[in-house]
Amino acid sequence: MISPDTTHPPHSLRLRSGNQMMAEGALQAGCTFFAGYPITPATGIFKTMIDLLPARGGVALSAPDEISAVAYCIGASMRGAKAMTATSGPGWALMTESVQYALMTETPLVVALVQRLGPSTGGATQGGQGDVLLAEYCTSGGYTIPILCPTNARECYELTILAFTWAELFRVPVIVLSDKETGMTIESVDVGSLPSITSQNRPSNFAFRELGGFRQNERKGTYYFDAIHEIPVFAPVGGPRKVTATGSAHDKQGRLQKNSPETLEVLLHLEQKVRWRLDDFAVVTADLQPAAGTLIISYGITARAARDAVSEARRMGERVSHLIVHSLFPIPVKKITQAAHNVDEVIVAEENMNGLYRSVIDRHLAGKRVRGVNKIGAMITPQEILEAIMS
Amino acid sequence: MELLTTTNGMEVVYQKPPTLTDTPLRYCPGCGHGVVHKLLMEVVDEMKIQDQTIGVAPVGCSVFAYDYMNIDMQEAAHGRASAVATGIKRILPDKYVFSYQGDGDLAAIGTAETIHTVNRGENILIVFINNAIYGMTGGQMAPTTLLGMVTSTTPFGREQQVMGYPLKITDLVAQLPGAYYVTRQAVHTVQAVRKAKKAIRNAFVYQTRRQGTCFIEIVSNCPSGWKMTPVEANDWLEKNMLPFYPLGDLKVPAS
Ligand SMILES: Cc1ncc(C[n+]2csc(CCOP(=O)(O)OP(=O)(O)O)c2C)c(N)n1
Ligand code: SF4
Repeated sequence: MISPDTTHPPHSLRLRSGNQMMAEGALQAGCTFFAGYPITPATGIFKTMIDLLPARGGVALSAPDEISAVAYCIGASMRGAKAMTATSGPGWALMTESVQYALMTETPLVVALVQRLGPSTGGATQGGQGDVLLAEYCTSGGYTIPILCPTNARECYELTILAFTWAELFRVPVIVLSDKETGMTIESVDVGSLPSITSQNRPSNFAFRELGGFRQNERKGTYYFDAIHEIPVFAPVGGPRKVTATGSAHDKQGRLQKNSPETLEVLLHLEQKVRWRLDDFAVVTADLQPAAGTLIISYGITARAARDAVSEARRMGERVSHLIVHSLFPIPVKKITQAAHNVDEVIVAEENMNGLYRSVIDRHLAGKRVRGVNKIGAMITPQEILEAIMS
Repeated sequence: MELLTTTNGMEVVYQKPPTLTDTPLRYCPGCGHGVVHKLLMEVVDEMKIQDQTIGVAPVGCSVFAYDYMNIDMQEAAHGRASAVATGIKRILPDKYVFSYQGDGDLAAIGTAETIHTVNRGENILIVFINNAIYGMTGGQMAPTTLLGMVTSTTPFGREQQVMGYPLKITDLVAQLPGAYYVTRQAVHTVQAVRKAKKAIRNAFVYQTRRQGTCFIEIVSNCPSGWKMTPVEANDWLEKNMLPFYPLGDLKVPAS
């Protein structure tokens, strides 16, 4: 998915921010509905959508708050529109109720979460990578929510398209976790070499109908699946068939039930449909060196400092590998353990206080010395990572 | 610091209220926020209630209000100011408690808090700065943005078919039985400033009666968000804002 910047001659360089590229990626993915509420550093996505989407026949709506913004998106998605919203930490806190609702109702949704320094109002114009676990563990029950994490403006475009594909195919909310520096830095992007793919669409019972299976599915209900990991065929609201959706615990027909065996099966299914496809969700950039003693793991803006640190360390004769994780969740366990296979030591660099991502990948790195390079209030520098490598 | 009455034998005709700190205001030139801060602190000084007054200002351009007003000031999360003020007032019913909120804060994300605070008749003062735009985040449409008004999220002007009508939340609030005193003022001319100060003073006095919520809308400006000079902004306010948001009392105490 992540195509290197150098595959095409840079014949069409344009200045773009990560936020703009995320909006353009969403349009490329076929997003037709956007709702937002102003918040630094995510406002650029909202603004670009307001400027571009209505002209293409889509809907871009200003909401009175983030609670409404995400709920508008869910309503639109229930009809089949590819829908997206964008926010930062304080707004994300308000959205989590409805993100859980999207998960429970299996409604595709893409949320761009452009991190700033927290907690609370925190620092509106100060970056950070402190929302990693707040984003992932926003559901009661800790259901896996896919999270994609770009490191530059170009990846903002590419990963947003991928986020729509995942949201659509697996009927889940997907988060594109950016940060203030990635979102607001304006850099050159070779727009001529951007992938021309779009996102895939959810299998819907519009198609079902044409295949003659419509009546049969009707009996089985909105959330019907046979195998636990199977994705129920999407039934849009406002169609010829009665559709119900509920954020309450429900059976396969969408009927509210407390803890019937079928309801528990539906809850298990919400997690298993993601877990069963773990390998499909793994997106990393691996720059591995044979016989490396140290592996650097990084993501988001910090990956750019890590890349510089790694090349400098190599210039100084160190053998060091680097893994940039783009799909933070579900954790790409295989990719991580493969990259760490022969090293003695793993260093996880991230711009937060306690090593949030390190705390959840630690358990997959048994037998390795695992350390963090952590910092808040400023970007981690290549020098700081280099010092960790050399020490 | 005390208010001066004479100095070197000369009469003092004007001075900065001592409770307004010496911190330079970070507001854009011509912005109404600074004027309203001054009026609030003038009233606090005249009533000698500096140590009995607690303010709650949420995020918005007035996020640094605690730096300018030398009283206990809390910064609340976006939209939650009147709710935090409610908690403070319920625990400290003898203090003067006010919230200071922008239109985005009070009439968008905090609408539920606004309506319910007033409907319960909380004995606080709500100061509502209506500049028809989100100032702090860079000039996006607010619920109070006028039809046709250009903002960064209404690049072709606010269209009623897409974004509905400007919200006259002060008129709504005046309908609620818990509202005790509701008025709409401005600070774009000397005369308006004087009237606004009187309204603020009334509201502080009324708070001691414990008869319900006092609510003061200040129709204000945002030269930066409106992309105008301060003078142009005040002219524009007079010609465009005031016809839609007419000044005057909407609800006054019976006696
Ligand atoms: C939950 C949440 N959403 C969004 C923001 C970003 N934000 C900060 S201030 C503000 C609105 C400012 O507008 P207004 O209340 O009208 O006050 P003004 O700046 O115009 O004085 C917004 C949207 C935030 N801090 N928290
Ligand atoms: S942006 Fe507008 S409201 Fe904020 S300080 Fe400047 S003029 Fe005042």
